[in-house]
Amino acid sequence: MKISFVRIDDRLIHGQVATVWVKAYDCNRIMCCSDEVAKDELRKQLVLQVTPPGLKAYILPIQKAIEAFNNPKYDSFNTFFLFTNPTDVLRMVEAGIPFESVNLGGMRYVDGKTQISQAVSVNEQDIEALKKLDERGVKLELRQLAKDPKVNVIEKLKSMNL
Amino acid sequence: MLAIIIGTHGYFAEELLKTAEMIFGPTSNVKAIHLIPGKGVEDLVKEYKQAIVEMDTTDGVIFLNDLFGGSPYNAACRVAMESDDYGIAAGVNLPMLIDMLSLQPMAEKTSIVEVTNRAIAAGHSGLNSFHRTLLAEQVEDEL
Repeated sequence: MKISFVRIDDRLIHGQVATVWVKAYDCNRIMCCSDEVAKDELRKQLVLQVTPPGLKAYILPIQKAIEAFNNPKYDSFNTFFLFTNPTDVLRMVEAGIPFESVNLGGMRYVDGKTQISQAVSVNEQDIEALKKLDERGVKLELRQLAKDPKVNVIEKLKSMNL
Repeated sequence: MLAIIIGTHGYFAEELLKTAEMIFGPTSNVKAIHLIPGKGVEDLVKEYKQAIVEMDTTDGVIFLNDLFGGSPYNAACRVAMESDDYGIAAGVNLPMLIDMLSLQPMAEKTSIVEVTNRAIAAGHSGLNSFHRTLLAEQVEDEL
């Protein structure tokens, strides 16, 4: 399986992703990796029904996504990976999935989170996962729209003393 | 670069462009032209021509109009009769505009007729319905 792009966006497939991102980064599959969403039949159906024409999308728990990645049966897949949080990305990287770069695109604000950009808010668990990904050499860039300039996530966290 | 002119009744064009920028980011070489009460086809023709003078039209001009047969469309037809490099797509919607914005930097090799066909296809592909009883069985492949 080839990795087309990796994005963290808790809305998963939605307007920006469906119309701009999957076109900016050539791909033939979308894989939403989340234990939580994979268990939620309603949300799953609603996410899948907005799959852009011409692409196939899957919603898989993390363990299943790792197995699929390692299965030679899916060598023809050029996959756009979507996650809802950095901890799930770290789980896949720790299992040996060679993500080189991760785009931090959308994590909505909830109580107890710190907003680091217009579209991204993080809690302590997110920050810890981001730092571990950085230690493993994964590039982390903050960018909501494909045309926005890439902002280095780790430097952004440092500048905010996080 | 491909020049995009959105021509509509009222301020739909300007607002549609602002909406597209929420999804696409900042745009360039796009103009919004409005038909407001008191203006007529003649005024629109003038405004379209002025817009063309101010834009980079090396890869042609695509007019996106709101209503087939409406004044913004009719005025665009008058202008488009003057050059093979001008095309029109009527029935503009957000998917159509976003598709044209993505095409803009790489329109060099696309003829304007292909551009208009692509605009119409993008507009169509954005039309979908939803009703909970009609949700297609999502057959998830065994991965």
